[in-house]
Amino acid sequence: MDGFKPVIGLEIHVELKTETGMFCQCKVGQFGAEPNTHVCPVCLGLPGALPVPNKKAIEWTIKIGKALNCRINLHTKFDRKHYSYPDLPKGYQISQYDEPIAVGGQVILNGKTFRIHRVHLEEDTGKLIHLGEDTLVDFNRSGTPLVEIVTEPDFDNSDDVKKFLEELHTIIRCLDVSDADMDKGSMRMEPNISLRIMNHESRIKNKEIKLPKYKVEVKNINSFKFVKQAIDYELERQKEILERGETPVQETRGFDEKKAITYSQRSKEEAHDYRYFPEPDIPPLTFSNEYIDSITVPELPGQRMKRFVETMHLKEQDAFILTREKQNADYFETVISKLKSSHSNLNLKTQNLEQLIANFIINKKISIDLPIDEFIKKTIELQTPKETDENALRSAIDNVIKNNQKVADQYRQGKTNALMFLVGQVMKEMKGKAEAKVVISRLTEILK
Amino acid sequence: MAKKNILTKENIIHLAKLSNLQLTDEEINKYLDQLEQTVEFIKNLDELDTTGVTPTSQTTNQSNATYEDGEINEQGLSSQEALKNAKNKKNNYFNVKRIM
Amino acid sequence: MDLLGFTITKIRELIEKKTISEKEVNEYFLKRIKKYNPVLNAFVTVVDNNAKGIPLAVKDNYCTKGVRTTASSKVLDDFIPPYESTVTDRLTKKGFSIIAKANMDAWAHGASTATSDYGVTKNPWDLSRYPGGSSGGSAASVSSYLVPGAIGSDTGGSIRHPASWCGIIGLKSTYGRVSRYGLIAMGSSFDSPGPMTLSVEDNALLLRHIAGKDKFDATSSAENVSDYLREMKIARKLVVGIAESYLEGVDEQIKGRFNEVVEIISKMGHTVKKVDLLSPKYSISVYTILQRAEVSSNLARFDGVRYGNDRSHFGAEAKRRIMLGTYTLSHGYYDAFYKRAQKARTLIKNNFIKVFEDVDLIIGPNVPVTALKIGDFEKYPFYGELMDQLNEPANVSGIPSLSIPIGLNSEGLPLSMQIMGSYFNESTIYNLAYQLEKETDFFGVVKKGISNYKD
Repeated sequence: MDGFKPVIGLEIHVELKTETGMFCQCKVGQFGAEPNTHVCPVCLGLPGALPVPNKKAIEWTIKIGKALNCRINLHTKFDRKHYSYPDLPKGYQISQYDEPIAVGGQVILNGKTFRIHRVHLEEDTGKLIHLGEDTLVDFNRSGTPLVEIVTEPDFDNSDDVKKFLEELHTIIRCLDVSDADMDKGSMRMEPNISLRIMNHESRIKNKEIKLPKYKVEVKNINSFKFVKQAIDYELERQKEILERGETPVQETRGFDEKKAITYSQRSKEEAHDYRYFPEPDIPPLTFSNEYIDSITVPELPGQRMKRFVETMHLKEQDAFILTREKQNADYFETVISKLKSSHSNLNLKTQNLEQLIANFIINKKISIDLPIDEFIKKTIELQTPKETDENALRSAIDNVIKNNQKVADQYRQGKTNALMFLVGQVMKEMKGKAEAKVVISRLTEILK
Repeated sequence: MAKKNILTKENIIHLAKLSNLQLTDEEINKYLDQLEQTVEFIKNLDELDTTGVTPTSQTTNQSNATYEDGEINEQGLSSQEALKNAKNKKNNYFNVKRIM
Repeated sequence: MDLLGFTITKIRELIEKKTISEKEVNEYFLKRIKKYNPVLNAFVTVVDNNAKGIPLAVKDNYCTKGVRTTASSKVLDDFIPPYESTVTDRLTKKGFSIIAKANMDAWAHGASTATSDYGVTKNPWDLSRYPGGSSGGSAASVSSYLVPGAIGSDTGGSIRHPASWCGIIGLKSTYGRVSRYGLIAMGSSFDSPGPMTLSVEDNALLLRHIAGKDKFDATSSAENVSDYLREMKIARKLVVGIAESYLEGVDEQIKGRFNEVVEIISKMGHTVKKVDLLSPKYSISVYTILQRAEVSSNLARFDGVRYGNDRSHFGAEAKRRIMLGTYTLSHGYYDAFYKRAQKARTLIKNNFIKVFEDVDLIIGPNVPVTALKIGDFEKYPFYGELMDQLNEPANVSGIPSLSIPIGLNSEGLPLSMQIMGSYFNESTIYNLAYQLEKETDFFGVVKKGISNYKD
């Protein structure tokens, strides 16, 4: 971006997979349920109803904060955030304003540090469905615990954003606090995008002296791929405006997947006045250090990947793939430990057992849907040298040559790679019950 | 020190918008006076020294009132009960005029 | 059987002894309601309670399942709650029933009941006067014995003020003592439910039934609920404080009678001493700012989508308070108004805590004037807030306070005083009140009030 430096910050919302609501005991996560069947006076905003916070939701927010290396505030509270919209039953959202649960964290990716500004807890709104002249409202989702993660505007390109979001997604799922499913809306991402004009001075100093005077928020992005597209489009759009000597309007824009463009939502340009004040219905929360310490964070994907590379000597790429889903990494390690302990006497014909198993999994040679013992059985099968049935092999070879005369001739005429085709055919006929080396050797003999 | 503000009609209209209220011209003018009077109430708070005082949001020192996730929902409503008082509904949804 | 003037305690006894049935009791009160309510307009809705339980009236801001609840506003004209408030739930489980939803200032905004969208309630002592507010219907109905007791809510004096003007006993409980679940919120950090009764014993009895931790109200206290009835009757000699600042601007007759009662308290062997309390004027400021902010927020949910009518149905007073509250909270003003008030609130709270180190109770007048004539409301621009100046400190700090009748003025209108106690110390308040009741019979006020409304 010649002469311009992108300044991108992210706001991510994660729906927690608690059983019941942030402030009531209605079941949450009932995606696809009949409308308004998981509601109560609290999440419907009936007169006289009162919120009581969900302990686990608070715990899980602390967990997320810790996983992102944040400082956990020992004193925290909820605040009311006021605005009018039909999906907001009370006319305010219970959220957190100036004393959020976690602040000041970071995620390090490929040597780059991306700072986390804050992590806080709030409640989700109901859902609107537009149908002709009507706007229909379903409050099942109202009151679902929602964690908001806000980064500092540390990103200057869309690739980093995509990688960061993918890593965050993996971390959240590893913590087992949310399905983080973008299709179901349990993870939502909103980039805030602006461009800094890099004049001579700022290029020399390259310091964050001042942030741009505007920022554009983009909503409604449903996948990591689309986030990248939206950012790339937006940066171009803003660049053109700035090059004309104008300033892009500070606004919220939507994203059109089909056209891969952002569009103005023409919402009010005035800054929201949320009139935050402390939620009087919920006493503030005070945590002891012991309590914070008791909330443990499992080995995070980044750490696990590092361990796989360093202690198991796996290829970095493979370690990365294996650690994207905690259950896959767990499965992998269980297989390894079982093989090492109970089958150490077997000659498994390999130097790096871990890499071998990793290959089987990644190449899908053996399915990880299998129960662990079955997986191990198959591994042993594949690795134990097979005794080839010479008679069966001989008739298979004869068959294959008979049916593929042309190819056999090509080989005889010097086309060496024709052999591999024939080998493959023989292996097929032998239904894998032949060692490749043996097949090659017999075939070449016979073809001579 | 509280600042004395001269509120304008635009300010009142803005506040009415935030409050989601439709006001008549008469009401707008009335509020122009009344809101200024709010400042009067603050004046005598200037007589109190509140430096270093922590604000009270909870007069009886409650804290850490939470509930355990997964508790049985004693307050749950059927969709019928939930929609009973709504004047506009459709197929078990609440219905509002189309939002642009 | 002639039940006229029987307390809840007495009625309960008669029912237990089977001298009278619940059915007869209900029929009795229903008859009186039919006779006098058209005149007094104390009730928004009379409820068919199957003639079961000891009948009570509750202020129409308590959600009663299946029974219309309006907060005396046209916004909720046809609202039928699908759930029960904790207060009414506990009462109905303890042998009481709701026979009426009492009229009030709409949304509890006021000290006259004149802002009700269903017409003002008349003061039973003088039908040309206000009963006080905002729990005006509750107070009037008890005073005229349409019910033997009622429940109100006190945010800035709304139980004690009408109790005063109608000559009955009314308690603002400690904030958090009684659950607010199902009580249509006005000032969330102030609202305190409380009983309004003909005797101190009745008041203690009702409080015992409704008080206690509620898991549906995060602000409700886990503090043990005292055995008020037992502790009330212990012969105690108490140290009672009086603050000069609470006698300013009070009508001469009220002051005069109050001083007489102070004499009586001394003669009974209690110690009376002067205490130093911050002027109530600071409480007015704190209360006004914080309450308006909370009100504007609490009324945001009334948009007519899920229930009720749209916001054009709000009355003038409600709109005024919403606008003022929005202003208080709006960008740039939060620190100047809201936060300042919260800090001042701490000072007022700490002031009371300190004073209660030296005294058991603090007493004083609670209303500066006796019942005003209907129509005079408009003459006083800050009517509500100034009328409640002596009541507001208890709301701002959260401490409990009881209003008791101390006689009639030259116009035959009830006079009152309040007894304030420390946090969760309703027992001590009841103790002094009970002793005074025994000693003075509250100067015959309660009985006189009922005698104006013969069967």
